Amino acid sequence: MKRYDCLKAIADVAGDAISVSSAGGVTLEWSNVRPSDANLRVRTLGLCSSIGLGLALTLPQRKVLVLDGDGALLLNLSSLPTLGWQRPPNLIHCVFVNGVYEASGGGRNANSANADLVAIAKGAGVPHAVWVDSVEDFRREVAAAFARNELSFVAARVEPGVQPGLKGIDVQAVENKFLLARHIERTEGIQVLAPAYPQR
Amino acid sequence: MVSTSTAPADSAPVAGPELIVDALKQAGIDFLVVLPDLKLARLHELLENDPYFTTVTVCREEEGVGICTGAFYGGRRAAMLIQNGGLFVATNALVSTAIMYEIPMVLLIYYAGDIGDRFFPTVGQYTEPVLQALNIRYWVPREAHEVVPTITGAQVTASDSMRPVAVLLTRPVLAV
Repeated sequence: MKRYDCLKAIADVAGDAISVSSAGGVTLEWSNVRPSDANLRVRTLGLCSSIGLGLALTLPQRKVLVLDGDGALLLNLSSLPTLGWQRPPNLIHCVFVNGVYEASGGGRNANSANADLVAIAKGAGVPHAVWVDSVEDFRREVAAAFARNELSFVAARVEPGVQPGLKGIDVQAVENKFLLARHIERTEGIQVLAPAYPQR
Repeated sequence: MVSTSTAPADSAPVAGPELIVDALKQAGIDFLVVLPDLKLARLHELLENDPYFTTVTVCREEEGVGICTGAFYGGRRAAMLIQNGGLFVATNALVSTAIMYEIPMVLLIYYAGDIGDRFFPTVGQYTEPVLQALNIRYWVPREAHEVVPTITGAQVTASDSMRPVAVLLTRPVLAV
């Protein structure tokens, strides 16, 4: 199973969800599958689940889709008990498990040996956590998670590799911030950024 | 080694957690990420029992940088209440998320190992140099009358400069 095929299969399910994707191939692929100002591309490995939690807690009426990598999640494993404590009902945490540090050279990680991320998520207090091994199951579980309104964790076993021939991302980090902030201001009717010039 | 702060001759309490809560409210900071610490316990308890604040307890401080970043996008003024050892833990996320993406947040850091504060002299010794290396602006209120203007001013500067800033909380200011 390829991560790119999984992402293509959930593009319509995601709707207007804010996505927070991990550094690595998943961000490039998702940006091609669903180009949107609602996509936040994270550069700190593992931090997407924590950023997603902050978004989900402060925008409870909005779905937040976290697209994580297994090596990245290992670097911020403590985010799982924090998620399991807060249990934001509007957060869907997808993890693509290829067992390697794909973005940094392809060395094996602990998920290729004896670690079980679904068991870890369940043990951390995440109420719904499942493994999937097919694109159809992935789409079904993600759609169920969107409908469920309860914190959900979907781990997909995928082969290593990034889809070839995709368009590069030409949005800079700070530009990504402004685009997402303005998108949230527009769609949620709130103020995110302080006024550049105060009213007089 | 540069140290920019000075301390009063004795370390008797000069302020306290109630004044810090008042300062946070005046600053409009209503979203707090906390990693519990003995010296922050009373302040943490006041925050958790006050409906003005959303508090999220984390297991590790780097998470907190992410959660504050998410809360910023959700339109909230966010701060993180941690010990200075936790500042060191959070540096990777501070660099490649908060500073790189220009996200405002206030780091309220218990200054363990500050002058006269026993048991953590090494942590105290490296606190200000690490903040300086990260180019994070910081202030150390020493007197009660400095607490509110420092915290409200730190929030304004974080927001205007779109960067994390820090306020170091000493034992006398925490009254512990």
